[in-house]
Amino acid sequence: MGRIELDGLTRKYGDVVAVDGIDLDIADGEFLVLLGPSGCGKSTLLRLVAGLIPPTGGRVLLDGEDITHAAPARRDLAMVFQSYALYPHLTVARNIGFPLRAARLPRAQVRRRVAEVADLLELGALLDRRPRELSGGQRQRVAVGRAIIRDPRAFLMDEPLSNLDARLRQSTRAQFRTLHERLGTTVLYVTHDQVEALSLATRIAMLDGGRLEQVGTPTEIFDQPASVFVAGFLGSPPMNLLPARLENLDGRVRVRADGIEADLRPGEPDGSVEGVEARDVVFGVRPEHLRLTDGTGRAGTPVLRGVVRAVENLGAEEVAQCAVGGETVQFRGARPLGLAPGQPVQLATAPDHIHLFDRGSGRRLVWRPHPARTAPATPRA
Amino acid sequence: MTTARASNPGAAGETGWRDRVRGAVGHGLLAALSLFCVFPIYWMYATSLRRPDEVYSVSLFPWPLSVGNYTHVADVLPIGRLILNTFVVALVIAVGQLLVGLLAAYAFTAWRFRGQTLLYLAFVGTWLVPFQVTMLPNYTLLYRAGLLNTLPGVIVPNLVSALGVLLLRQHMASFPRDLIDAARIDGRSAWSILWTVIVPNLRAPLAALAIVLFINAWNDYFWPALVLQRADSVVQLGLRGLFVGVEGPDWGGLMAGSGLACLPIFAIYLLLQRHVVNAFVRSGLK
Ligand SMILES: Nc1ncnc2c1ncn2[C@@H]1O[C@H](COP(=O)(O)OP(=O)(O)OP(=O)(O)O)[C@@H](O)[C@H]1O
Ligand SMILES: [Mg+2]
Repeated sequence: MGRIELDGLTRKYGDVVAVDGIDLDIADGEFLVLLGPSGCGKSTLLRLVAGLIPPTGGRVLLDGEDITHAAPARRDLAMVFQSYALYPHLTVARNIGFPLRAARLPRAQVRRRVAEVADLLELGALLDRRPRELSGGQRQRVAVGRAIIRDPRAFLMDEPLSNLDARLRQSTRAQFRTLHERLGTTVLYVTHDQVEALSLATRIAMLDGGRLEQVGTPTEIFDQPASVFVAGFLGSPPMNLLPARLENLDGRVRVRADGIEADLRPGEPDGSVEGVEARDVVFGVRPEHLRLTDGTGRAGTPVLRGVVRAVENLGAEEVAQCAVGGETVQFRGARPLGLAPGQPVQLATAPDHIHLFDRGSGRRLVWRPHPARTAPATPRA
Repeated sequence: MTTARASNPGAAGETGWRDRVRGAVGHGLLAALSLFCVFPIYWMYATSLRRPDEVYSVSLFPWPLSVGNYTHVADVLPIGRLILNTFVVALVIAVGQLLVGLLAAYAFTAWRFRGQTLLYLAFVGTWLVPFQVTMLPNYTLLYRAGLLNTLPGVIVPNLVSALGVLLLRQHMASFPRDLIDAARIDGRSAWSILWTVIVPNLRAPLAALAIVLFINAWNDYFWPALVLQRADSVVQLGLRGLFVGVEGPDWGGLMAGSGLACLPIFAIYLLLQRHVVNAFVRSGLK
């Protein structure tokens, strides 16, 4: 069992609020990824859960038991550090067996468990080496081995892949996934890498400035970002976000900005958008949801008009930077796009792919069925 | 590359020549300096090995060799016991200072507590206070405790060294925090973390500090001279006896005695030096 509940968890450093009133319920067996930019409080949150630092407010519960003030050793949680934190003076075997020796298990049993774990992580040939004689990837596996040997209630991982090269990161991700499926242990995993988050998580918790921005499955987070911050964090390149104005023209809801014109509900029966009021919004569309058009499409199709500034080669795809109004819009498509700098372009998208956010609060705007048949766009929050 | 070399044929050879000259001058200088340092020690052993009637000879090599001075010093002094006593005193002092330094430094770095800075400044302060200031109060205390003229009297006031605390605090402050955190999560107590994680990884600085503290204690003359009024206690005082003998300094005996007195230091140095080098090479910390 390993259900972790955070209840208003807060940590302040002087005036800096590193972790700000986090409420989060992590179910047993979940792979929850804490995602956010550098300095948003991910590591601090993890250390609070581990008990390495005391919170200045709130509670941590493990399987319903309040462990807010329990010593780290009492929590039955295992942690993998970004630096791996292997004991330099001990061999791989003794590093992996360290937690069991600390628990004073009989030597034979420790040896057997170390052999099992080494087998699982393919470390058998390295057991007599010291950490400095290992490659980065091997060290990482030793760190994981030292965590799983205890069969803890949950794993805490602080950017465990960030010191690996791209290829190794990918294979280790796959390994983590199988390991999680096999052990079924709760994982609380910190990263600033969206690819890791999207590919590993059963749920993602997005953090910004110590606060929870959104919690949801990778699909929810990617497809329905709850705020401008989440939208602008995910995707490569991330979502285009442009200031625009929402208008209600002749019964049609339309988003307009310099170079942008988009009907949001084409084909809706007249009157369905009654009550939508004009307001300032942020218009969002993902680079991969844009396509080139010659402007002869159906009237009302959302269109962005601009000029190509630069084209970037990503191998299989290309990304074009286009000036639209005073803003830059990125457009991603299969190579070659056939665009050159200076060329005027028209980019079309589907109304379903348009995201709108409130300009003031940055929260997502959603269509809500109106009691009186009308559906005004209002911020959910 | 080829063209560059062809267009400037002299360059490579010239810099090579300059480097070689620079290297030679550097090595020459270092060799001269080390000779300068080692010569007195050599002279001590050379003199001690001359025949007792030739100790004033200034020939560079003692010939014929003789152990006369050694047998002489063994006759007039209980040299074995002196060296043993001194060894025990220096060892206990060094180990005590190391232990106190280790625990104090651990407390200073691993915990935040009230009055921490003040306490630390007090430690630094004791280091700055000259020996002469504490000498008499310590002497009086020893007298009250009845420890005058005993080896514990030499040892006890020296069991704490601010130097050890300061140095070890620096090393512990730069000790990787993650290692300690990992050990805490892995279920070790603070006490066990000190011995199973920190100390094994601080072997190099600990060995270096041990050498310094041991030599300091071994070389200390003034305090033992004050506390112990007997010449048959520690080697420093025994040698003084030879120096102020009725017929003037007994140079041959002094040289032989000093030569013997240096041996334990060499032994400790050789023993720990290996650790210092070894630990530097092995630790993955830095
Ligand atoms: N010991 C400390 N004293 C003061 N401020 C701290 C301390 N530790 C962290 N902070 C502050 O708390 C905030 C969150 O830090 P934290 O290390 O949790 O960020 P993070 O999300 O892990 O970032 P990164 O991705 O760079 O590791 C930062 O603003 C940081 O400056
Ligand atoms: Mg961090």
